[in-house]
Amino acid sequence: MPNWVYTDPDIFAREQERIFGGPSWLYVCLDAEIPNPGDFTRSRLGTREVVAVRGTDGAVSVLVNRCAHRSMLVCSANRGTVKEFTCPYHQWTYDLEGRLLGVPFRRGYRGQGGMPEDFRPEEHGLERLAVAARNGVVFASFAQPNETLEDYLGPLMLGYFDRVFSGRELKVLGYQRQRLPSNWKLMFENIKDPYHASLLHVFLVTFGLFRLDQESAIEMDDTGRHGVLVSRRGEQKVNEATAQMSAFHSDLRLADPRLLEPVREFPGDATVVMQTVWPNLIVQQQSNGLAVRQIVPIDAGNFDLVWTHFGYADDPPEMTQRRLRQANLFGPAGLVSADDGEAMILSQAGIAGNETAECLVEMGGRDIANVPHMVTETAIRGFYQHYRAVMGL
Amino acid sequence: MIAAAPGLRASPALRTRLADLYGGYDEALAEGQYERWPEFFTEACVYKIIPRENYDAGLPVALIYAESRAMLTDRVAALRKTILYAPRLVRKLTGGIVLRSLDVDGMRLSASFALFQSLLNEPSTVFLCGRHYDRVVEDAGALRFAERICVTDATLVPTSLIFPI
Repeated sequence: MPNWVYTDPDIFAREQERIFGGPSWLYVCLDAEIPNPGDFTRSRLGTREVVAVRGTDGAVSVLVNRCAHRSMLVCSANRGTVKEFTCPYHQWTYDLEGRLLGVPFRRGYRGQGGMPEDFRPEEHGLERLAVAARNGVVFASFAQPNETLEDYLGPLMLGYFDRVFSGRELKVLGYQRQRLPSNWKLMFENIKDPYHASLLHVFLVTFGLFRLDQESAIEMDDTGRHGVLVSRRGEQKVNEATAQMSAFHSDLRLADPRLLEPVREFPGDATVVMQTVWPNLIVQQQSNGLAVRQIVPIDAGNFDLVWTHFGYADDPPEMTQRRLRQANLFGPAGLVSADDGEAMILSQAGIAGNETAECLVEMGGRDIANVPHMVTETAIRGFYQHYRAVMGL
Repeated sequence: MIAAAPGLRASPALRTRLADLYGGYDEALAEGQYERWPEFFTEACVYKIIPRENYDAGLPVALIYAESRAMLTDRVAALRKTILYAPRLVRKLTGGIVLRSLDVDGMRLSASFALFQSLLNEPSTVFLCGRHYDRVVEDAGALRFAERICVTDATLVPTSLIFPI
């Protein structure tokens, strides 16, 4: 893996054009964030600002947050409820579907000025994206993909997606946002790399939430662009595998064990399912900690990670409390996720200045295949197989 | 000095005790004596670091959420033994402490804080700033935080939040 893919500004520009601007279904928001007509939420798809807004007919539009006049942001709140969008600069007004409704002094004043005769408001609406939604999750695309969201995910990945997003009504519990001086792809690689989890994450390893010796699997769709990491919770005991993990502390105990008292809520015996959906979404189910993580690239060396934590609308109060407790594992202060953020920063720092060097991604061999274990980097190889095809590299 | 809201009668002795609590708390963090940090809280305390984005919208997810002093102890154990992080110093300045009310369940105070982060071989930067919303109670002869809600102004955290506020 050449290091320049993480630093080259030309590569970054091509990623914006071909991946984020191309026929990908990009995660935008959850339906539950904008339940009523006029409700909107801002989101960033790659480097571009968009607004997702529910129309009077209940359908969600995803609009580029850019006035057709002078390119000003028409919406500067993160969320709220509106009847229409008015650009604050010259008060051009758009409806909830992005159509241009009004231009002040379009006909001039006392016969002077105004827009040219051939100005057509219908040609100057807010740019609209193609939208696809499934079970409360909204996706959009700058280029109309030639496949449905379901075909894009493929049957295997769709099954895992529907496991958390079964159609049960969602309830948003809050946001965690983090800016990391690191290339956005390192975030994807992190989730596609189960090998690190047993070594880096002392907390996970020690308390048995995720460990290499547990029954687990790495699976991908046919293209390799999406992936899932599945595991089952184990015990805090010394064995052949934990003996190789300097991270494992058999004597560490929680003073307040309520932090880690998960209850089973999904069919099957998997307790961790981490799904990566090309190119900007991670669906996280670790015990009862449910979240979507949105990857927002800023430039080759920086990205924002936006965590939207959620539960289900019919969760009893104890379950909500459990999810809030387990949120301590995630986000910029996460007992587990802080490790990842710091690791990505240190990776980028090592890559910078060493662009001609290469990373080695050969754990578990050199092939790309679904495997029933975690001692592998196969999903990273799958990701880059697809990446190279899309990028023409 | 601890200011009091208009019309609120607070004795100089009480203000001094509160100043000692706030000063002692910040002193323990400033010296990196995190093991002392839980001692400033009651056993059944609530401690949160929560972005204002969530706080104002009534969304409960926090960056750090503890429901007991024991959970604070666990957080300290994690930052000492389990969390990987690049070397850094975080300096906190607290100002504008105001005693807002004396309620049956304790004293309510607010204050502003600013945190500066110095990563190794990097210049110091503003890391986070925000507001403390506190409830302080008499607990076994000392004043302790029964509730300390740290509300951060920025929606996002630059890098990682390792140390308590």
